[in-house]
Amino acid sequence: MRRITKAAIAFGAVFSLALAGCSSGAPATTPATTTPAGTGAAGQLPATTIKILAPSYSESSKTDWEKIITEFNKKQPNVKVELQIEGWDNFSSKVQARIQAKDYPDILNDNAFAGAAEAGLLYPITEVMSEATIKSIEPALLKNGTGADGKQWAAPDIASSRLLAYNTDLFAKAGVAAAPKTWAELEDAAKKIAALGGGVAGYGLPLGQEEAQVESSLWLWGAGGDWAVNGKLVANQPTAVEAFAQMKKLVDGGMTQPNAGATNRQQAADLFNNGKLGMMLSHSGLLKETREKFPQTKFDLAPIPSKSGTPVAFGVTDFIIAFDNKDANRKEATKQFLDIMYSDALYEGWYKGTGLLPVTTSQIAKGKASDTNNAKFYEALSYVKFLPVGNPQWDVLQKALQGTAGTITSDTPENVLKKIQAQVDAQG
Amino acid sequence: MAPPQRRGRWQETLAALPWLAPTLVLIAGVVAYPTILMAWTATRKYNSYGVERGSAGLDNFIGPAGALTFPTVPIPRILLNTVVWVTVVVFITLVLSLLLAQFLNKPFRGRKLLRLIIILPWASSVVMTTTVFNYGLQPDVGLFNRLLVDTGILDAAYGFTKNPTSAFWVAVFVAIYVSLPFTTYTILAGLQSVPDDILEAAHVDGANTVQRYWRIVFPLLRPSMAVAALINIINVFNSLPILKILNETPGYNTGHTTTTLIFEYKAQLGPGVASALSLVNFAFCLVVIAVYLAVVQPTREV
Repeated sequence: MRRITKAAIAFGAVFSLALAGCSSGAPATTPATTTPAGTGAAGQLPATTIKILAPSYSESSKTDWEKIITEFNKKQPNVKVELQIEGWDNFSSKVQARIQAKDYPDILNDNAFAGAAEAGLLYPITEVMSEATIKSIEPALLKNGTGADGKQWAAPDIASSRLLAYNTDLFAKAGVAAAPKTWAELEDAAKKIAALGGGVAGYGLPLGQEEAQVESSLWLWGAGGDWAVNGKLVANQPTAVEAFAQMKKLVDGGMTQPNAGATNRQQAADLFNNGKLGMMLSHSGLLKETREKFPQTKFDLAPIPSKSGTPVAFGVTDFIIAFDNKDANRKEATKQFLDIMYSDALYEGWYKGTGLLPVTTSQIAKGKASDTNNAKFYEALSYVKFLPVGNPQWDVLQKALQGTAGTITSDTPENVLKKIQAQVDAQG
Repeated sequence: MAPPQRRGRWQETLAALPWLAPTLVLIAGVVAYPTILMAWTATRKYNSYGVERGSAGLDNFIGPAGALTFPTVPIPRILLNTVVWVTVVVFITLVLSLLLAQFLNKPFRGRKLLRLIIILPWASSVVMTTTVFNYGLQPDVGLFNRLLVDTGILDAAYGFTKNPTSAFWVAVFVAIYVSLPFTTYTILAGLQSVPDDILEAAHVDGANTVQRYWRIVFPLLRPSMAVAALINIINVFNSLPILKILNETPGYNTGHTTTTLIFEYKAQLGPGVASALSLVNFAFCLVVIAVYLAVVQPTREV
């Protein structure tokens, strides 16, 4: 009898130990807070809190936001602003954690909005921005924030376009005269540069988690295709097979950096900065770093090569979206905050901190006139094509691409696209 | 005189309740509630953002996007990985710890210092330790890679963390490294409790060193070995950071265990499917422990 009890207790102990051990908890979020103090006055909102969740574009991101918060608090001293800044590589899981905890940020700076819009969590952005602010945004970019239902759910806050950055020293050494325009020329140039040896790679192909969706879209467009086929996003299509086959050709031919399937764009940029990479598709933010910290690396920019030679123009905008917290005061505070944020005085400093391009017409004009480093990016911005971010299906396709596109290094293009399509269909 | 009336069993339990209450509340809050919540979450449908969309039935387990049936996930391989991960890490840790403990139990100069050094990996954060290994193993800037190339062991730097299979085995190595201190100390405590007089008596009776070790010391170590093994099994089974940090290949690759797969699902398929796999994982963990208890019978009286 005694032994049985003992055994039961032992089993119970093991069981609860296992129970506690086997269930993993959700990570907690610790928002950084700024606490303004003040008392009420005319035109001021009562004490309330608005929450901002934003990614870190650069080391200055936190202070860039805090400048806007300080300005906002001068006008609304009773409104507390909670700012949480997170790194890009795991940003979507932080957003997910907040949504699951029903702790919706009033203002979210992200690169996707369709899923949240479809779930009915958002204010149309026109409700939390004055008409003047909306009008100040370049219409071609603003359009990118429209959902599948035609509503304006998001407002762009920064834009970037992609171009081919190439190391002019390596090009000269390898005897490549001009930047490649077609895939064939790119292959040729990459081969010659890789042949230089000394750990130098021809083309930087970042198919890791961070940006596989961008890189594979660029190649798809270069093949003359598009993810959208008859209004539906399709991964497994002939032009995509062609695009993936071309990427695989580069990998198999030893023309890319090693481990292309596990490389993020920053890691490719590190190689580029250190003069170990001939070319890669890059943006103004990354090249700002090259200019400032790696002056010995000489580079130039060219349009993105395609199969036929017609340049691929690719743009990205990130967005401001506003979650509906069913609180009129918070909504009004959000509106006033965003109006301040997009005002010329504050927006200029904020967007420059990101290293990317502005979205308001006045700043674009100013940048075009003064920012010679990024002249080519501004030029490209006028004719770019965007990822189908307004389509809720894109969220699913994007994640499938991020996880699986990299397997191209060890699998056939047909199989990789079949896997991606299967993942998308299973969630249909 | 009549004997004092025996109080009822229930009354006794009731009287003990005030003393047990804090523990019970703790168990209810920290163990029971999350488990129930997780089981509930596993039956709800979510989009990838984590917005609830009604009941899912068993879809989170075996639906088209279910934990066990989501296309392109190498489930059998991942289950096998999990078993290999647990058995290899725990077994090698135990063997090495046994040797280390034996050594540390011998009196010699500088023993205290050595004992301190051995406990260091335990004192530092697993995430930090693993990150250091990750940096060291980077192909372009990593020190370990540099060492392997300069000593001629490798011809060129190898991306250990960029390939799921090599990342898995590196993770096994790191997991053993961080499990050693605790295990060694548990066994060392067991060794120190082996009474000297028994060993002396055996010596007088003519038992040689090997016999003394296998017939006396080792059986007496059984309880501490059992504790060390059981805690290691649970710890290693649930270890997320080591594999997560060292395996840089994205997606459903062949370097996952069920625990890291939960995280992958959480990001792509939302909390419903992740919770479903957590429940499966929990059952799987219990099976592993049950097999261990049945095969090794560590609680058997010596």
